[in-house]
Amino acid sequence: MARRSLTATTPARLRLLAAALVLLSLAWGALGGWTVSQHASAASDVVHTEQPLTLAAQQMYESVSDADVTATTMFLSGPEPPLAPLQQYRGDIAKAAADLTTLKAAATGNQPLTAALSAFSAGLPAYTGYVAQAQTEYALGYPLTGGSFMQVASEEAHVVLLPAAKTIYTLQDAALTAASNQATALPPLIAAVVLAVITGFVLYAAQRWLTRRTHRIFNWGLLTASAALVISVGWLAVTFSVARSDLVHGIGAGSSPAGTLAQASIDVQQIRGDEILNLISRSGSTSFKQNFESVRDQIGPGPGTLLTVAASSSTADAVDRVAAASTDATAWYATNDHVYNLDLASAYADETRLVIGTGPGSSAPGFTQLESDIRGAISDDLGTFQSSATAGANAFGPLEAVVIAAALLMAGGCALGIGRRLREYQ
Amino acid sequence: MAGKGRMPFIVLVAVFLLGLTAACGSVASGGGGAGASGRAGAAPAALTLRESGSTLLYPLMQSWAAAYHTQVPGVTVSTAATGSSKGIAYASAGAADIGTSDAYLSSGDLVKNPALLNIPLVISAQVIDYNVPGIGPGTHLNLDGEVLAQIYQGTITTWDDQAIVKLNPHVRLPPTAIVPVHRSDGSGDTFLFTSYLSTQDPAWNAAIGYGTSVAWPPLASGIAEQGNKNVEKKCAATVGCVAYVGISYLNQSIGDNLGYAALANAAGQSELPSATTINASVASFVSSTPPNETISMVDGPAADGYPIVNYEYAIVSTRQPDAARARAIRAFLTWVITTGNSANYLQPVRFEPLPPAVVTLAGEQIARIG
Repeated sequence: MARRSLTATTPARLRLLAAALVLLSLAWGALGGWTVSQHASAASDVVHTEQPLTLAAQQMYESVSDADVTATTMFLSGPEPPLAPLQQYRGDIAKAAADLTTLKAAATGNQPLTAALSAFSAGLPAYTGYVAQAQTEYALGYPLTGGSFMQVASEEAHVVLLPAAKTIYTLQDAALTAASNQATALPPLIAAVVLAVITGFVLYAAQRWLTRRTHRIFNWGLLTASAALVISVGWLAVTFSVARSDLVHGIGAGSSPAGTLAQASIDVQQIRGDEILNLISRSGSTSFKQNFESVRDQIGPGPGTLLTVAASSSTADAVDRVAAASTDATAWYATNDHVYNLDLASAYADETRLVIGTGPGSSAPGFTQLESDIRGAISDDLGTFQSSATAGANAFGPLEAVVIAAALLMAGGCALGIGRRLREYQ
Repeated sequence: MAGKGRMPFIVLVAVFLLGLTAACGSVASGGGGAGASGRAGAAPAALTLRESGSTLLYPLMQSWAAAYHTQVPGVTVSTAATGSSKGIAYASAGAADIGTSDAYLSSGDLVKNPALLNIPLVISAQVIDYNVPGIGPGTHLNLDGEVLAQIYQGTITTWDDQAIVKLNPHVRLPPTAIVPVHRSDGSGDTFLFTSYLSTQDPAWNAAIGYGTSVAWPPLASGIAEQGNKNVEKKCAATVGCVAYVGISYLNQSIGDNLGYAALANAAGQSELPSATTINASVASFVSSTPPNETISMVDGPAADGYPIVNYEYAIVSTRQPDAARARAIRAFLTWVITTGNSANYLQPVRFEPLPPAVVTLAGEQIARIG
């Protein structure tokens, strides 16, 4: 009986229609606005929070890796470290400490991340302490004792600091990926569009029914609501497609290859650090040589290697630099092969000259050139990410307000348009 | 200063108690690791711990293994003199429960297997033997790194060279040709000896350097031998010989009528390898020893110290396949650094016991084996 009374008369049907259209309009406003808000917020997180934190984690790893290479090179050069590498080492440690502070301030409740940050926090002063002890022993005239402390320092870097930094980077990168996925996710958008289609269909059906019932061609209120819906849905679709395209490009051609190149850079530093440490320890162990051969195969160039994978997704400028890095890497590997052959022959004097010398064909300039190429490519890729992702994040602009305003206009239009018909029955 | 004086006593008491518990092999089962044989009355499963590595440590390890088995019948320690490098490799691969090495782990080995520990077991030293006619074991020539470097480079060729005479003004030196003997295999002994030469003679450091093996200058008179034992025997059989051997072979050298040198330390003082001079040298490094006990002590700052000293290390993984084996390894190593460091084990091979602070650090490392 109740149901019958609700639809038994035309005024009752009109009231029901008005209520349904107002509710659909408001639901569109709520869902559309929420979808825009979520995507815009996630896109903003990608650009302003997660990417900077991922970059900080990446830099922290690189700083420790570079500090280790610099400290061991410095040690090998003599008891009184030259000023330039000393400043570079101190700069690396300061940068690592600053990035650590940034990451600690942003870490909230993620247990593995907190544990890794704590391990890094505890390890960093221990590492610098061992380096200082190594330099002190050398300066006092005990190079071998200093050398053993340099080994302990490097072990602290490789066994404690770098694994902790890698964990932090991995977790941060996962957060970046999650934010990126949220910013480019389709399901909420599809739900909003489906609701808009339903609302549009109901609006169309209502106008058609009213036209037949009242013999008036236009209901201006419902027509206004329909126009507002079409405009807001169109705006949303265009904005999403532009923003998504920008973000996907920024990640795919920017941050992703930059991350791959960062790993290549870290591996290059590991090879450099190992050859220096091998020269200091002179243990006769072939572990360093084996590590070199294995890491070299990961860096590339070659199918599936870091340099080749990065080149396949980078933009043109970065691709040129990766190509240069590939050429330089091949030449530098040959130098490293020579270094380990000299080590095998116990030709330490020649090995030392080849490792820390600055002449053509020496390892140090080869390493510097390779690192410069890779860092340049990373910089290009990060530039691509920054411009594309920022454009993607900015694309949302006033869309949220537009959708909400359109929804309110639709609700008002529906209420007004059907209200007039209702008044005709009074 | 009062605190400084009290600390070693406390450590000694702790070490004594630790050693007593381990030696009894009795009651303290569970996580502490001191008792290997389980609870009294229980029938502990027989367990064999596989040791492999340093040839220098081998005789002492055999004596430790026998004594430990007597005290803890449930545990047998099998020993193998395979050399330090293999000892490290076997421990890393799990083919040995305990590797032994004359040198600490290289960073490459440690980075490859971060679970490995190097735990000092005892103090060793290196001796310079010589076979010079007319100069017996009772007379000790003074030698320094510079002279030894020149001998091994072939610029000093006879025992009456002015550089040697200058160091030994009261000894009548014969014009006998010098025959330098070195190791043909890569070894911790070569690392220690060339380290000493490198710190004392910049020219040697620049031209040859230090390492487990080095590019020895090609001398017509030079001889290469494998292992300490062969080096010592060759030296005894070769008039004019000079050679470097581990201190555990000193009794054998004396028995073969070889002389051994007083070596110049960093302060320029010539010292013989005695308990006093070896311990003095090690003492100067104790306070700066890092927690993982990786430290080179060659040519240290002690003015009255013997210059070529080192720790003999156990290389053990912190990750053992089962709790019983981990407990047995902890118990055995704890026994070694306490009861096993007593004079009746060490004196026959002239090794020295670890200082209390080093024992404490070693104990902390042993506790990580699980």
